Order: sequence, then C-alpha cells, then structure tokens
Amino acid sequence: MAETIFKPKRKSGPIKFATLGAWGISILFFLPVAWIISTAFKPKGSIVVSPPVFFFKPTLSNITEALSFDNTLSYFTHSIVYSFGSVIIAILVSYLAAYSFSRYKPAGTDFLMFLLLSTRFVPAAAFVVPYFQLFNLLKLKDSYIGLIAFYAMFSIPFSVWILKGFLDGISQRFDETGLVYGASRWHIMFKVILPQVKPGLVASFVFNILFVWNEFLFNFQLGGAKTFGIPVGLFTGSTKGGAIDWAYVASIGTLYVMPLVIVIYAFQKYLLVGLTFGTVRGEV
Amino acid sequence: MADLALKVSGLTKSYGNKVVLDDLSFTASMNDFSVICGKPGNGKSVLVRTIMGLEPVDSGSIIVRGQDVAKASAGERNIGYVPQSFALYPHYSVLENIEYPLVLSKASDATKKESVERVAELLRIKDLLGKKPEQLSGGQKQRVAIARGLAKATDVYVLDDPLVGLDFKLRERLIDDLRKTQEELKVSFVYMTSDPLEALSLAKTVMILAQGKIVQQDSLDLVYDEPNSIASMNSLGFPEANILPAELSGTTIKTILGSIKVKTDSSSSKVVAGIRPEGFVVGKDANSFNCKVSLMENLGSEFAVYFTIDNTDLVTVVSRTDAQALSKLQAGSVDISVKPDAVVLFDANSGKRIGQGVSHV
Repeated sequence: MAETIFKPKRKSGPIKFATLGAWGISILFFLPVAWIISTAFKPKGSIVVSPPVFFFKPTLSNITEALSFDNTLSYFTHSIVYSFGSVIIAILVSYLAAYSFSRYKPAGTDFLMFLLLSTRFVPAAAFVVPYFQLFNLLKLKDSYIGLIAFYAMFSIPFSVWILKGFLDGISQRFDETGLVYGASRWHIMFKVILPQVKPGLVASFVFNILFVWNEFLFNFQLGGAKTFGIPVGLFTGSTKGGAIDWAYVASIGTLYVMPLVIVIYAFQKYLLVGLTFGTVRGEV
Repeated sequence: MADLALKVSGLTKSYGNKVVLDDLSFTASMNDFSVICGKPGNGKSVLVRTIMGLEPVDSGSIIVRGQDVAKASAGERNIGYVPQSFALYPHYSVLENIEYPLVLSKASDATKKESVERVAELLRIKDLLGKKPEQLSGGQKQRVAIARGLAKATDVYVLDDPLVGLDFKLRERLIDDLRKTQEELKVSFVYMTSDPLEALSLAKTVMILAQGKIVQQDSLDLVYDEPNSIASMNSLGFPEANILPAELSGTTIKTILGSIKVKTDSSSSKVVAGIRPEGFVVGKDANSFNCKVSLMENLGSEFAVYFTIDNTDLVTVVSRTDAQALSKLQAGSVDISVKPDAVVLFDANSGKRIGQGVSHV
C-alpha cells in the first residue's frame, strides 16, 4: 500500500485536489496581470462596465492608439537604455569586486561586504532630495549618464553579494591551475571562472533589471523629458484628459511587462540556481 | 645545462608562528621519478604551492633548470602541474581541457593536435576527448587531469598526490601508467604523496618529508633499508615500522624483545629501536617470545599480523603461502622472534640513526 501513495496516479483523489489547489492559487495571483492584458485587447466600450465582460472580440486599437501618442515610444527607448545600461555596468563592476573579495580576501572582507549592503538599509525616499540637489549641481539631471550611474550604484551592492556567494563556491584550484599554465589574471577571471558563475550573473541581472525597470521615484525626480521611462509615462499618461484612461494603462502596462516576462522565462533554469545564492554547488 | 631539474635549498615558509617549511632542501634529477613522501600535515601542500609559485617563500631558493625562480610568477616557471583536485574546467570538453595549457602558450594547431594525441594515447583516454568533465567517472577525470598536466611541453612536472581518493584497482593501473609515461617522456617527475605504498611502487628516488624538512633523500632501496631517522622509517613502508624504546649499555640494547648486540658508536643510554614488519620470524626458538595475536588483516598476498608483547602493540607480515605460520597465528597465541639485523637503532632525542642490530645475545 505504502508505495502507491508516492505514485501520482491520474485519478487518485488527494493528489488531484492538491494539483487543483496549486493551480487555483496560481491563477488567483495571475488575475491582475490577466486583467491588464485582457483589458488591453478589449474594445473601448467594454472596459469599465458592470457586470464585467469576459468574452469579447479582441482589438489592437487600444495598443495602436497608445503607441501613437507622442511620448510613448520614447518612454520605451529611455527605459531600455537606462535599465539595461545600468544593470550591465553594475554586473561588470560587481563581478570584478566580488572576484577580488572572494580571491584576495582583503582585511575586513566581511565588514566591507556588510558596509556595501548598508547603502540599501535606508529607504530610497530619504535620498531623493539630496540626489535632486546633487544632480542639479553636477548638471546630471535628465541625462542618461546620471541615471545609469545612479541605478548602477544602486544595483552593485546586491550583485556583489550574489556573485561573491557563487565565486566562493568555485574552487581556487581552477584559478591556480590556470596561473600555473601561464594564464593572466584577466584570462582566468573571464575565460575560466566567469563561465562557471553564469547562474549568479543571470540571477543578479534579473533581480536588478526588475528593480530598475520598475523604479519610478528617482526616474521622476532625476530624469526629465529626455529620460523619463515607462513608469513615469504610465503615471502621467493615465490621467490625461481628467479621467483615468484605462485603455492606455492596460495597453502600455501589457507592453511594459513583456520584456521582463521574456527575460525571466528565458533564464528560468539559471534563476532557480541563482536564488540559492550559489549554495547549491557542483563538485569540482 | 645541469642535469638537475629542480634544486630547492633552504626553503622556509611560516604562517604566523607556525613554521611549515623549515630550511627544506632537496634535488630532483632530469629523467628521474622523484617521490616526496610525507604524512599529512608535514607541509606537503605548501611545498607544492611554493614550488609552483602559488605561494611566496619567506626565504630560500627554487632552482629550475639552473635558474632561481623563487621570485618568478607561476606562469613563468614553466613547470608542468597536475593538481591534487582535478580542477577540470566544467565548461570545456575533455579535448579543450587537455589543450588548454597549449592554447595559453599559443602553440600551433599542429603542435596542439600532436600533443593531445600523444597524452591521450599514453593515458588511454582517446575515446573521451569529445565528452564534458561531468560525464566522466572519477578515474577518467584523474586521467584527463594528468593528461592536461603532461600536455604542456616542458621537462619538469610536479604531480600533487594525483591518485588520492581513487579506488585501489584504479590506482594500480594509473601507477603503472605514470611510470611508463615518465620513462617514455624522459623528463623529471616530482611526485608528492602521503601514501607509502604509492611511493614504494613509483619512486626511483625518494625523499622523506617530515615536519617541514626533507629528512632523507636517496634511492628507494637505500631509504627503505637504511632509514636515517625515525621519521624516515615511519614514513615509508606499510604497515608502519615498529618503534620501541630501548636501553643501550656498551654494545647491547635491552628491549621487550630481549637483548640484542648492536653496532654503534653512540654512548647515550636512551635509544629507540625501529623494526620493519618483515623483521620478525614466526616460530619457536631460543630467542622467541610468546605473544597474543590481536588482529590479522588480510592484505591479499600477505597478512598484517598485529600482536602484543608486554602491552606493547607490534605488527609483522606473514606471507599467505606460509601455511605453517598461519595455522599457528590462527590459534591466537604464537612464538615470535626478532631478526637482529632488522633492528635499526636511533637516538631517542635527535631521532637520528646511530646503529644497527647484529645478533642476539
């Protein structure tokens, strides 16, 4: 009898219920996203009606209309440039820092690592005003350089933590073997070790891109017409004409989540390893 | 061009107060299989790391092919290296792993191909070249790691305990392969091991590493037959040699195995007698002692027999074919005598060899 319990049979009652339950809960969490996406394709007349309409003839008119607004495309361009730009720079810098911490172990490494993360202890809102003044002073307001530097700085601490965890899990024998065979330190870092911490790179990339892509406050304060991203665009665009423009919110919202959905879906298998912070290690 | 491949002299390395390498010196000749044998914790790993340039030395010189490389970087030393852990790059195929040192030295494609074929042939891994390290068994990984170490075209190779952790059969085969490889390449192998059996089956020249020093360096037979110190006798041989306290007066020592006439110049009274396991005879005679057999360990062709005299544990070996002795041992109590010429005399304080047994008194 005991062994049948562990064999998931299609018709066995408890397992079927468990599966149903899991699906139910998942769908519940997915509902807001489903609502946004379905709304994007609803004809204008059936968006805000009671009772809600579940079956309708999908239309692309909301999306084409939203895209036809002057600023929409530039919001997307801005978002992509500063998000990917800052995160790629952050990961590069973080990898170098994490490698140094992991391999050279400078005196007080643990404390330095703690110090690094401490920049994230204070709520970001506390920094808004000083940064606003700083950016004005340095004439960095509404510039890609300013925003990319700011977001990279914000992304680095966490990435260093993730990557150091992964690097600590990669035996130093790899580095040493390379050195003995005549490889340079750069070669070892990028050709020997980097490929082995791919899950860590992907994990920090995804975490940071989620943060930067969705960041609103600093983009709103430190950016401007030349650098406003989608979150700011959504905020300002949704109330155009007095009332909330649900068609606009839904259309832009749908396009807005797509890149992230694709990125996360593509990197799913790495992400799972990445979430363990490198604690699940392979044999050397 | 000296025929010395490697000459280490006065090598010292300490971590804080702990002296790991203590004025260590040895030489390794070209075309020789030198084995450095030391028990774990005697500085073996640090010695390898300093020779390879992975750890700076406090003082001393490391002369490779006549040039002092103690200050040179690891890559500049041009020493082939087989690390203790496999450290095969998981993202490379076996082929890419093996040719990695050659790629770094910017060898031509023809050279690469030739070298890889040569070492793959030697270590019988030709059929594995297309695989990834994760698809290999432990023994195969070790072969690939050795192949990668040997692929680098040089004449001095350091192998850091490469067979540790492998199963018995595989070790036998790899030991055989390594010997042949060294003979075919006509290069210098410096091989580190903590396993005395490995040292015995591989070495042409053996060095005994104990407490951060090379205490003895000579041909294998000489080191085995005439250990110059307790540490040397202890490090080589399996089962380990018996070390007994003894009292010296004139030219006679008194031990729990009776009195034995010795040849020595020493006049100190506190001495130590060392007897290899094969230095005993099973059977009753004028000099034998009745002992209790506590354990018989089957080693295949022979048995390691652990026995007790006066609460002192000793060990001897008895051939499997010696039916007469075995039947007596099985009874649990047996008469055993020591071969007087198998007794080596050491000074109790310095641990240095001071004499040799001659006959029973």
